[in-house]
Amino acid sequence: MLDHILSILIFFPALAGVFGFMIQKDGMRAYGVSVAAIEFALSLWLWYAFDGSVSGMQFMESLPLVPSFGINYTLGVDGISLFIIVLAAFFTLLGIGSLTDTANVKYMIITLLFLQMTMVGVFAALDAIVFYVFWELSLVPMVYIIGAWGGPLRIYASIKFFLYTFTGSLVMLVGMLFMAYFYYQATGVWSFGLLDWYRLVLPENLQLWLFAAFFIGFAIKVPMFPFHTWLPYAHGQAPTIGSVILAAILLKMGTYAFVRFSLPLFPDASAFFMIPIAILAIIMVIYTAMVAYAQKDIKQVIAYSSISHMGIIILGTFALNVEGVTGSIFLMLGHGVVAGALFLLVGVIYDRRHTKMMSEFGGLAHVMPKYATIFAIMMMASVGMPLTINFVGEFLSLLGFYQQSHILTLLAGIGIIVGAIYMLAAYKKVFFGEVTNEKNENLPDVNKKELFALVPLVIVAIWLGVYPKPVLDPINNSVKSIIQLMHNKSITELGQERIPDLVKVKEIVIQETTIEEVR
Amino acid sequence: MEIGLNHYLVLSTILFAIGLVGVMRRKNLLLLFFATEILLNSVNVAFAAISHYYGDLTGQMFAFFVIAIAASEVAVGLGLLIVWFKRHGSIDLDSLSSMKG
Amino acid sequence: MEKYLYIALFAPLVSSLFSALFTATPKKMFTGIVASLLIFSSLVSSFVLLMYILDGGEPVHVEMMTWMATGHLYIPFGFIVDQVSVTMMMVVTLVSTIVHIYSIGYMDHDKGFNRFFSWLSAFVFSMMVLVMSDNYAGLFIGWEGVGLCSWGLIGFWFHKEVATWAANEAFIMNRIADLGMLIGIFLVYWNTGTLQYDGAFAAFSTLDTATLTWIGIFLFIGAMGKSAQFPLHTWLADAMEGPTPVSALIHAATMVTAGVYLVVRSGELYDLIPNVGLFIASLGAFVALFAASMALVNRDMKRIIAYSTLSQLGYMFAAAGLGAYWVALFHLMAHAFFKALLFLGAGNVMHAMHDELDPFKMGGLKKVMRWTWIMMTIASLALAGIFPFAGFFSKDTILEAAFAEHHFVIYGVLLFTAGLTAFYSFRLVALIFHGEERYKIFGIHPHEAYRFMLIAMSPLLILAMIAGVFQVPFFEMVEEILNAHEYHIHSHTTLLIMLVGTQVFVALAILYAYKKYASWSSVPDGTSAIENSFVYKLLYNQYYIPYFYEEYIVKSYKEMSEVFWTKVDMKIVDATVDGIAGIIYGTGEKTRDMQSGNLSTMLKWMVAGLVGLLSLAVVFGLAARYSDEILSILSALGV
Repeated sequence: MLDHILSILIFFPALAGVFGFMIQKDGMRAYGVSVAAIEFALSLWLWYAFDGSVSGMQFMESLPLVPSFGINYTLGVDGISLFIIVLAAFFTLLGIGSLTDTANVKYMIITLLFLQMTMVGVFAALDAIVFYVFWELSLVPMVYIIGAWGGPLRIYASIKFFLYTFTGSLVMLVGMLFMAYFYYQATGVWSFGLLDWYRLVLPENLQLWLFAAFFIGFAIKVPMFPFHTWLPYAHGQAPTIGSVILAAILLKMGTYAFVRFSLPLFPDASAFFMIPIAILAIIMVIYTAMVAYAQKDIKQVIAYSSISHMGIIILGTFALNVEGVTGSIFLMLGHGVVAGALFLLVGVIYDRRHTKMMSEFGGLAHVMPKYATIFAIMMMASVGMPLTINFVGEFLSLLGFYQQSHILTLLAGIGIIVGAIYMLAAYKKVFFGEVTNEKNENLPDVNKKELFALVPLVIVAIWLGVYPKPVLDPINNSVKSIIQLMHNKSITELGQERIPDLVKVKEIVIQETTIEEVR
Repeated sequence: MEIGLNHYLVLSTILFAIGLVGVMRRKNLLLLFFATEILLNSVNVAFAAISHYYGDLTGQMFAFFVIAIAASEVAVGLGLLIVWFKRHGSIDLDSLSSMKG
Repeated sequence: MEKYLYIALFAPLVSSLFSALFTATPKKMFTGIVASLLIFSSLVSSFVLLMYILDGGEPVHVEMMTWMATGHLYIPFGFIVDQVSVTMMMVVTLVSTIVHIYSIGYMDHDKGFNRFFSWLSAFVFSMMVLVMSDNYAGLFIGWEGVGLCSWGLIGFWFHKEVATWAANEAFIMNRIADLGMLIGIFLVYWNTGTLQYDGAFAAFSTLDTATLTWIGIFLFIGAMGKSAQFPLHTWLADAMEGPTPVSALIHAATMVTAGVYLVVRSGELYDLIPNVGLFIASLGAFVALFAASMALVNRDMKRIIAYSTLSQLGYMFAAAGLGAYWVALFHLMAHAFFKALLFLGAGNVMHAMHDELDPFKMGGLKKVMRWTWIMMTIASLALAGIFPFAGFFSKDTILEAAFAEHHFVIYGVLLFTAGLTAFYSFRLVALIFHGEERYKIFGIHPHEAYRFMLIAMSPLLILAMIAGVFQVPFFEMVEEILNAHEYHIHSHTTLLIMLVGTQVFVALAILYAYKKYASWSSVPDGTSAIENSFVYKLLYNQYYIPYFYEEYIVKSYKEMSEVFWTKVDMKIVDATVDGIAGIIYGTGEKTRDMQSGNLSTMLKWMVAGLVGLLSLAVVFGLAARYSDEILSILSALGV
């Protein structure tokens, strides 16, 4: 069973979703929770069975789909994707467990289970076409969630979300097809296998073009400035669960794809575009933090804060050294946990008051002390307090990028200041002061169902902040092999200069690079 | 003066042009069918002539296919035309606009 | 010894978590008692460690577990107890224990009693991490941790708008400095390959001066925020919105001295870059004077003490910047004792006066608050540096150091500030405890604090009186790791003149303050000539710096955010996206006329398309056929 665990992880929720149509409405929640729990248990088993000291792909599966064009159903995980898969299963469980939207709960759960399939698929796929299929499929349940359960502008928001990200993905698809064609020209056989592509050294100008094509697809998904405007709408209109999954997992697809595709396939282009992308990332960090400060709607604050944090992730990714990339991957997890929790927390007051406007609240710390405490913990995690999950990622990302550029890191570091400004201001508006609005006077504190979702997130946020080693080590090993691969492949001086050679400098012997291990 | 390939091709082109004008200008569905027949047959002439010129029978075979298809098309098309006429009492093209976008 | 290290470090954490369990429940007396006992156990452990170190024991160094390890980076949770950190541990745990016990009385009627102890103990834990860590990253944990607890404690009465505002201000200002600190840490890592103190210090000597200067500057920026040095000083005065025990512990004795600790700890770095050291010393001297001047006219008891803290921090930085690390550390310690005492005394007064803070509305309190009067007077004497109290030994050594290092401007500024210090301290004492009982106008019936609160304060009282005797043993202890030397003025006569001169100067300032304020009889209403003078207004409004920040930084940030959102994000970025989508929609809207449903029209379009494609094919065909000619023509045209 362990040999096919990835396939099981992908298709079990989908299959369960299909069976879900047959379940009675009353039993659906229990059914959904149990399916998600099994899925989560399986993902934990995957983690347990995963050998953290190996840098390459594990649990590989391969099945030919279109042999003449080298399209195979290839799956595998390494330290980079493993934890995002676990996180996806974790959030699906928490999301279904704490679901409060009463309308059509049955279909919501089925949709979430399908979404879970596509999420695992994206992170486990090692074939460009399989990756692309899951990548696009993930849009469908999300559009459905926003469009069917969303707020008043839901149709606009869901169409914008779909078309925007879809347009980007199409450019990415063209890039993939061209990449495969180039592979065919270079080797005489067709292949869409990512690990095959890793072995290919592309000429520099081709790298630049292909990088740009992939970049558009990924950047819109992240979303990077200036492609970010779909996100506030999507978050603003999506129901709580939609925002949670969107922020926690779906956005990570973009940054994950940068690490999985852009860096190892186009090392020279990555080095070439490092500074422009870093500048975009810095604009993202500071500009969206300021926009977040101007928001009136607490959910929009968190939506913009997501973009701001994604900027740090991008910065870490394009540090192109082990510290930075490891940090950015860890920050993906950290931001997933924290942003997911913050959206859940916003959902708590939205369920009670059906408004998210900060001016409607004030003094909630008096009436909902537990809620205020959890919110404060998550806010501090979001601000990047040491010993919380986000700090590890932010620290490493910035530390990594500092090697590349001092002044840009200093600018990006302003993010920790402006981040504190909007978060504290929002917290003050909602929780501090006297209770001015009489509707708030008797709000009930968080209930059991909400605690079911929030307490584990608080635990994870602190546990991984204090002791990130079990997660950091496997990531570190996989990242090392990627950086080494990039260094070996890079053909320009710039690439050689910006991507460190681990073997030479640090005398770390990498016995097998990813390529050799797979073939 | 010997009749060469060019003459056939010129004939074919002229027929095609007549057919094309017919297709564009005719408002009567029946006459539109006539015009398409002219188009198809102009192509047939060209097929046959080029086939003869190269000594390759494929072209003539193709002409036969075209004739067969034209025939079946007319058969189906006339059938539909009659049904339409029975229902609406007119086969004027301007009255056929249920596909308006 | 490791056992004691762990007790000293984790007892406060346990205390915090224990109290946190009861945050949602009404006041429970035992949380206060348990928390105080746990902090006390931490004090005892620190004391054991101090004795061990004093006996000449090796520094205790433990590495608990890995925190972060990736690439070449390796950061453990490592703790070290050496001569410097044990001093800090003693200061922190001693003052915290006293403040904990005192708070049981002070927070008696507060419904956030349990929450208060949770935050307060969490603060102690963070502070212990800060001082005990053996690397810069661990220091940063404590650094941010104390910032967080300071946020929670300043904003403890979160129903008050000013309190929460001050809490956020403190947090954000500290964050600005923390960025500098973070950059300093990055520089240390990329230049030395490690963040451990010992490894980094060993590597510093191999680096070039420019790099070291940058490291020194960025680390000091971090210290400036935490120790509220100009221009990041405004938060400290506003932080007085928190409960008074918090002001005593955090904003006088411990947290604000973290910056000094950082400079002392990184002494080996600053020894290599005397220019930065001189800058630190100059800034310290400037802040000493600057803060003291604001304290002269202020009418808020706690703010006056806060400015005096700021001023004393300036002294510490002046000493540390001149390389007299042990003097800075000694003054830090002595200051912690008498300043905490002063604050706790002020807390008693506040309790008695029902949270009235204006000393002009008090007066004559010595009759009802005898012990508080004695304590505050002695604390003020110590602060003013009168022999034989603690402040004399620590502050005079700073003056001597400045003199001996031939920085006479700094010496002069510090000397003058000493006079100011004495003046404003006794202005406060005189206004509160002497003269007419002006509070009667306001219908207040003051009373002395609980006896156990006074007893809890008594160790501080004793230390404020006798801490001077520790000077020599302290010097002998820390000279092992700090680059320490005693400052001797060559001529004994000079020294004697200096000492006596200073004492006389300070004593005159005290007498002047008494003379002016001890018989004050009215509450100023802003009409007197002095209150309308320019200098008074300038000082009273803190040189208009908070106004400037509010008006030009906070407001413009707010406006810019608004513009970014409503104008840039909505009107430019999003509108562009929607515009592109709109063009596509619009094109569809226009061209749908083509789809008229009329077969005849559609056939015409079909023919048009056919013609278009055919002509394209012809053009491309011709271009391909004659490509050479076209190229040659183009090149002839110079394209």
